[in-house]
Amino acid sequence: MNTYYAANLLIYAGVDIIALLALNLQFGVSGIVNFSFIVFQAAGAYTAAVLSLPPDSANGGFQIYFGGYQLPFPLPWLGGAVAGGLLSIPVGLVVLRKLRSDYQAIALLVLSIITNEVITNARPLLNGAAGLALVPPPLSDQIDPNTASYQYFYVALTAVCVVLVFVLVNRVVNSPYGRSLRAMREREIAAIAIGKNPVELKMTVFIVGGVAAGLSGAILVGFIQLWAPSVWLYPETIILFAAIIVGGRGNNVGAILGALLVPVGFEEVTRFIPTTIGPPGLIPALQWVAIGLLIIGFLWFRPDGVRPEPRHVFDGAPVLEDVDHARRG
Amino acid sequence: MLAAAEAPAAERPLLAASDIHRHFEGLHAVDGMSIDVPAGKITGLIGPNGAGKSTFLAVLAGTLPASSGTIVFDGRDVTTMPAYQRARSGLVRTFQLPSEFARLTVLENLLVAAPKNRGDSLFGALMGRRYWIDDERRLVEDARVLLKRFGMSAKESDYAGNMSGGQKRLIEIMRALMLKPRLLLLDEPMSGVHPKIVLEIQHYLQDLRSEGLTILMVEHELHMVERLCDSVVVMAQGKVIGSGTMATLRRQREIVDAYLVG
Repeated sequence: MNTYYAANLLIYAGVDIIALLALNLQFGVSGIVNFSFIVFQAAGAYTAAVLSLPPDSANGGFQIYFGGYQLPFPLPWLGGAVAGGLLSIPVGLVVLRKLRSDYQAIALLVLSIITNEVITNARPLLNGAAGLALVPPPLSDQIDPNTASYQYFYVALTAVCVVLVFVLVNRVVNSPYGRSLRAMREREIAAIAIGKNPVELKMTVFIVGGVAAGLSGAILVGFIQLWAPSVWLYPETIILFAAIIVGGRGNNVGAILGALLVPVGFEEVTRFIPTTIGPPGLIPALQWVAIGLLIIGFLWFRPDGVRPEPRHVFDGAPVLEDVDHARRG
Repeated sequence: MLAAAEAPAAERPLLAASDIHRHFEGLHAVDGMSIDVPAGKITGLIGPNGAGKSTFLAVLAGTLPASSGTIVFDGRDVTTMPAYQRARSGLVRTFQLPSEFARLTVLENLLVAAPKNRGDSLFGALMGRRYWIDDERRLVEDARVLLKRFGMSAKESDYAGNMSGGQKRLIEIMRALMLKPRLLLLDEPMSGVHPKIVLEIQHYLQDLRSEGLTILMVEHELHMVERLCDSVVVMAQGKVIGSGTMATLRRQREIVDAYLVG
């Protein structure tokens, strides 16, 4: 395994872990079916790209985009995170206030499709379908990005972000605030009756998740150095949902497992199936069938996922074995 | 002097709703209801099916907005206040159908309702466990006192969704009590509950009244209403058709015809 492939895998894993921790907070813990999640990752990626790229007249003007500020690291990453959060505000205000949760999911799915279409077709904005290329990697003016040590450096940067996001999300999920979020997920009308404001809770979680999604996009674009509408089509969100369901809704460790098993593991494994089998496009299409079967299979046989949401037992509680025994009896 | 100054406050009803209307399209579910809920008493709200009792309760709690009318709670106009704020101000409701948080444990169902936990905000949560653990420990103690009183200590770590119908009722009442309410709005707290637990709930409610809690309850079981309620309001077709003690109501011909037959 060469360095680049290893770094590539690890960075994709890191990006997917950050994304899934965010989606788990929104969907697994709080019950918000954010079918436009990938849009917030894209917002972070595009923002980081235009913050780090030179003006579009550079490189012979072969691509057009707004911005081009050539800001030094870490500003593009921070900008990507902020962009994900900022975009969450208007979207959340429109979708999360009045609509019932099933309609929220539909509205967000449609939003994802529309956004992708608009960016694809409005070329002056972000270079349309061709997307942005030659995005400068962080600190590439100081370290040569084409070296093995840079690859490991990038892995380390990603790891720092993963740890940071994991610690913060874990604090939220395992706090009294996280308990309020779970209560809202379980029964919103009863949560209101005990003084919770669901709009405020949902908006907060939506924005926090948007920030993490934006950061994940910024990390990814700095590594692959390009970003185009074809990498953030709405089915990418479905893959992330599959990962949450496989890993275990509401469990942060499950979200990490889901990231390693589905977007990283599953896609890597199926990559090695020769594409010469059957008519062209068969294997990629079957990959989607497999994702669908994975979701259905888990919902059918193991709806709580590999790592179910932990039950919170407090110090001084009656011993667990007794409780389990009482329930079985 | 002091007694004279306090007298009006003591006589003032804790909750006064006047001329409340609630329309669904053409249907007048609540059609000009006025009611005073005296402090420290249990008031019953009875009436035939479809009289608008649950709708009225929902309007009082803010779950449904009133089409018109005013609601004054503890001297404050709460007519347009959102439901969650009314709950925080001490006007707390329960539901006709079980409404536990199924995938939270019994203890968590109580804890989640407790106000004043430093960890119950994004900021507090991000600060970490050490920032809020003192509040949490105090509230766990409070909740365990309630669990013990309601005989559910052994169940604290079980998921609330696995409890029986009667236990879910108790969880809901305990959860409401964690908010330290001034007025409890109970929507048929005895429905679908095992007779043994009905009796328990009755005793708990009497105890809570003697501790000064005010209760307004919708209930179908008239013997229960007679035993529990200090006064009763009879509702039919969205209006008040009578009020008083059960004994006086039984003597009023039109009320007996409308509802109390049998």
